[in-house]
Amino acid sequence: MLKIDHVTKSFGGLMAVNNVTFQLDDTGITGLVGPNGSGKTTLFHLITGFYKLDRGQIHFKDKRISGLPPHVISRMGLVRSFQQTRVLPFLSALENLMAASPAQAGEHLSSVFFQPRRVKREESRNKERAIQILELLKLEALGQHLAGRLSFGQQKLLELGRVLMAEPKLILLDEPTAGINPTLIRQLVYVIRELAGKKIQFFLIEHNMPLVAEICEKVFMMDSGSLIFCGTPSEAVQNPRVIEAYLGSEDHVA
Amino acid sequence: MEYYAQLLLNGIIAGSIYALFAVGLTMVYGVFRFINFAHGELIAWGAYLALFFTRSPFAWPIYLAALPALVITALIGLGQNRFVFEPLRHGNRITLLIASIGLSYFLRNAIRLIWGSDLQTYGLMPTRGIEFAGLSITSAQITMMAAAVLFLGILYIILTHSILGKSLRAVADNMALAQIMGISIKKVGVTVWVLASFFSAVGGVLLAVDTNLEPMMGLTNLIKAFAAVLLGGAGNVWGALLGGLVIGISENLSVAFISPGYKDFISFALIILMLLFRPRGIFGIAGGIR
Amino acid sequence: MDYLLHIFIVSLIYAIFAISLNLELGYTGLYNFGHVAFFGIGAYTSALLSLAGCPVTLGMVCSMLLSGGMGALLAIPALRLSGDYFGIATLSFGEIIRLFFLNERWLTKGPMGLPGISRPAWIDEGVTGLPGYLIFCILLTLVVFLVTRHLTRSPFGRALKVVREDEYVAEALGKNALAFKIRAVMVGSILAGLAGSLWAHYISYISPADFTLTETILVLLCVVLGGRGTNWGPILGAFMILFFQEIIRFLPIPADFDRFVAPIQGMVYGAALVILMLKRPEGLLPEYKE
Repeated sequence: MLKIDHVTKSFGGLMAVNNVTFQLDDTGITGLVGPNGSGKTTLFHLITGFYKLDRGQIHFKDKRISGLPPHVISRMGLVRSFQQTRVLPFLSALENLMAASPAQAGEHLSSVFFQPRRVKREESRNKERAIQILELLKLEALGQHLAGRLSFGQQKLLELGRVLMAEPKLILLDEPTAGINPTLIRQLVYVIRELAGKKIQFFLIEHNMPLVAEICEKVFMMDSGSLIFCGTPSEAVQNPRVIEAYLGSEDHVA
Repeated sequence: MEYYAQLLLNGIIAGSIYALFAVGLTMVYGVFRFINFAHGELIAWGAYLALFFTRSPFAWPIYLAALPALVITALIGLGQNRFVFEPLRHGNRITLLIASIGLSYFLRNAIRLIWGSDLQTYGLMPTRGIEFAGLSITSAQITMMAAAVLFLGILYIILTHSILGKSLRAVADNMALAQIMGISIKKVGVTVWVLASFFSAVGGVLLAVDTNLEPMMGLTNLIKAFAAVLLGGAGNVWGALLGGLVIGISENLSVAFISPGYKDFISFALIILMLLFRPRGIFGIAGGIR
Repeated sequence: MDYLLHIFIVSLIYAIFAISLNLELGYTGLYNFGHVAFFGIGAYTSALLSLAGCPVTLGMVCSMLLSGGMGALLAIPALRLSGDYFGIATLSFGEIIRLFFLNERWLTKGPMGLPGISRPAWIDEGVTGLPGYLIFCILLTLVVFLVTRHLTRSPFGRALKVVREDEYVAEALGKNALAFKIRAVMVGSILAGLAGSLWAHYISYISPADFTLTETILVLLCVVLGGRGTNWGPILGAFMILFFQEIIRFLPIPADFDRFVAPIQGMVYGAALVILMLKRPEGLLPEYKE
């Protein structure tokens, strides 16, 4: 599904991603772990087109995506969330979701004026879908609230909801459980598992190792820009390089 | 041939004045990270305040009248910061930009109110020119260049040899880090505004000595200063200096090729071209005061 | 009574102008400080066409198309720039267009301007035509208001807001941010061109002095005062500013002080912008209700 091929990116003299090569097959949930600054988020930016690669290639479903602009990659079904949640604070939760729907006719100038009925139809379908997703996330009571008024954890869920509206095939989540309470984490895990069951693939950056062990079938680890491990979570906790990379790190969130 | 050499000389003279303007603008950008649209009005106010002191009841000679003008302009510059820019600095950059546009409009119209919209001059006697190598230059122009060189030289010494200057460069490079190291941002901020105001006022007076005063002079020269800043890389003091010279020279040489009505066009076109193709400038790297 | 008609007409024209800027600035977050250029292009195109014998309505349509086209042309390179640099580039563009009007005398008659621009065939010239022109303006403003309201309430309008609030999110959600911005500028320019041609046929005499930074500040104030990102905001702002402007003329000011009126007005506008940014940057009508 996703092929990362000798991908390299540096900033000035700093090598952020160093010749990383791996593949994501059509397995359900994959984890990407590593200490802070190991290049994980940079890799996400490279995959989703927000940064340009210095070297290497990236293929999604056998189509080359490296070099394409982010909105094109998103439309192909590769959708991401952001590490700091980026819900639109001044739109309601519902509007946040409705804005995320792909291929809306109503976003074309000509359709707005010359195809009003079609736009109206799509909008009501859009709204239904958005409400369904709010229900899945247990946020249906907050639909009309401004997204900026939601709690941090609720915003993270909303951001996941927004990703879902975009009808993704592969979802890249950047630290989805950082900073949210255990109850919401459970809810998130439930949602992710539901969706993985429906053949949506997940690729998560996480620091929460027990969580990774619980839900990921496969795990990659990066350190200082390089890929240093690939395997199952149980293999990972026994791997000496993995242990060494995390030694002294304070990121063990139980 | 001599025609072009004369244009070149005129360009260098004008350019040294533009360099003064550009240096002030770029220092403010380097430390505060915004382009002060009202910077041009510091130029105009410097010139007009000097005019005020050359008239009765003071009737001082121009170079003496310039001194209180510098001080008052510095106060205006500090006032701009204290009342408008400081409160807005941490918000939306666009709010800051709109506020600085409004401020510049306010100050420009205040000049119109006090001194009227007509052209004015300092009423100096025309000075004798000096001829050398087929080029002519007036003694006023020599004074202009000397003053510009003097001020820029002083700036160089301040930036490289004084603690204040080094603090300024540190803050421009990385404000958070400089703050942690104990550098007083407030002091640096005041220094920058005072320096920028002095330079603008001096340049304004010199420019008005050579040409005249009119209310739009602030905006017209702001555009040139801005083009120079872009050429040199925003925040790069020596780039701004070179940029000023380039603008001065290209403007003056251009009269040989295009209609004089389009002289201002050069700065505008340069701004657009630089922003589109080389926003970091030709000479430097954006950020930091070098 | 005639004067009241006049104030209403210019307020409506500026309402259209403000709505057009609000689409770019309020909804899409584009700080187009050169917007007056399209007002001017609309005015000159419509004027020149009707002076050449073209029926006024046809001329107006053509001027709208030309303005829109030029808007797209400007937008495509300029939108690569980040927020405040875009503002500066568009400001420069606005001035370049004004220099063009000023210098290309063969086309625009330069500073002398174009007199004798006629009204549409069904409206009388001069004072008798005022009621007719007022109705014309009311109808057009209504159409523009309904059209923009339909646009801003549509998914397109929502996407503009997404682009405004967070361009990265827009891209991550599959929206081509640049394409949306270009379209917003295009529509904004078309409407500004309409406002400009309405102006030209009303005033019947235009010159480059009608399209300066002052007009930019005026329309910016209308948008910012009335309430950005709302549909009624620009209309409210336009009426408030234009009424203020025109009523000043009515005040019995002794002839000696006449020359103070314009600068004081300018100071008020500049101060208003600054105070708005400091105290209530979102304007009178808030975009978000809660």
